[in-house]
Amino acid sequence: MVYIESWDDFVEKSVQLFRSDPEKTRYAMKYRHCDGKLVLKVTDDRECIKFKTDQAQDAKKMEKFNNIFFTLMARGPDGNVLAHYCLSSSCLYLGIRVNRNSEFRCNAVNTDISEGGGKEQVEAQAPRRGRGRKQ
Amino acid sequence: MVRLQPDPFLNELTNMFERTTEKGSVWVTLKHSSDKSKVKRNKMKTAGEKIDFKCLIRATDGKKTISTMVGPKDHQRFQSSYATILKARMTALKKRERKDKRKVADSDKKQDKKKQPTKPSN
Repeated sequence: MVYIESWDDFVEKSVQLFRSDPEKTRYAMKYRHCDGKLVLKVTDDRECIKFKTDQAQDAKKMEKFNNIFFTLMARGPDGNVLAHYCLSSSCLYLGIRVNRNSEFRCNAVNTDISEGGGKEQVEAQAPRRGRGRKQ
Repeated sequence: MVRLQPDPFLNELTNMFERTTEKGSVWVTLKHSSDKSKVKRNKMKTAGEKIDFKCLIRATDGKKTISTMVGPKDHQRFQSSYATILKARMTALKKRERKDKRKVADSDKKQDKKKQPTKPSN
């Protein structure tokens, strides 16, 4: 069992694992109220990565992680999933692009996990129109 | 293994969290599944039929196991209800307070001062 210290690494590797084998990969969560411990596990029955914590702030990160996996697992690995690293709060915000060109209203840097680029800046989005003043 | 609809599943999950407050754990597992056996899936593949995939969610407290399937259309609603339950129930985790951090830092500094041997005054 490999325990990963960094949250962002854990998220990245989990998504990679899922994309490499969507039929076998599963995500398990164990919560013990009496001990105040939370453990997350992602495995494809060949590799296994785990993340453990007792911090309430990690529960919030886990919620976003849950959103990622719900979407991936309900829609399938073909869904285009963009990850926005929100630089100010260093959290992982997930936006989901449906094939109908729906846009995001976020000025953060976009990272496309599907290309395996990880944290590299693949695209830098121009500031969006719609809300805000026209310059 | 009890297969439920998403809403009763969420109710039962809440009960599970309530029961394990003093003792025990709750496991929740998510998996991408088509709910069909491997044989049938292979047959569908060779026949060129499109296989319907959903998200299988299982929950157990060590004794009782419940499960549900959530499709792509209703997963948004399910995940927001699920998040609400988790937020309400996962209260035993430690909250990081800056005051505690400062106190720890101060007490560490004091310990360091004590540990340093008394230097000869020049």
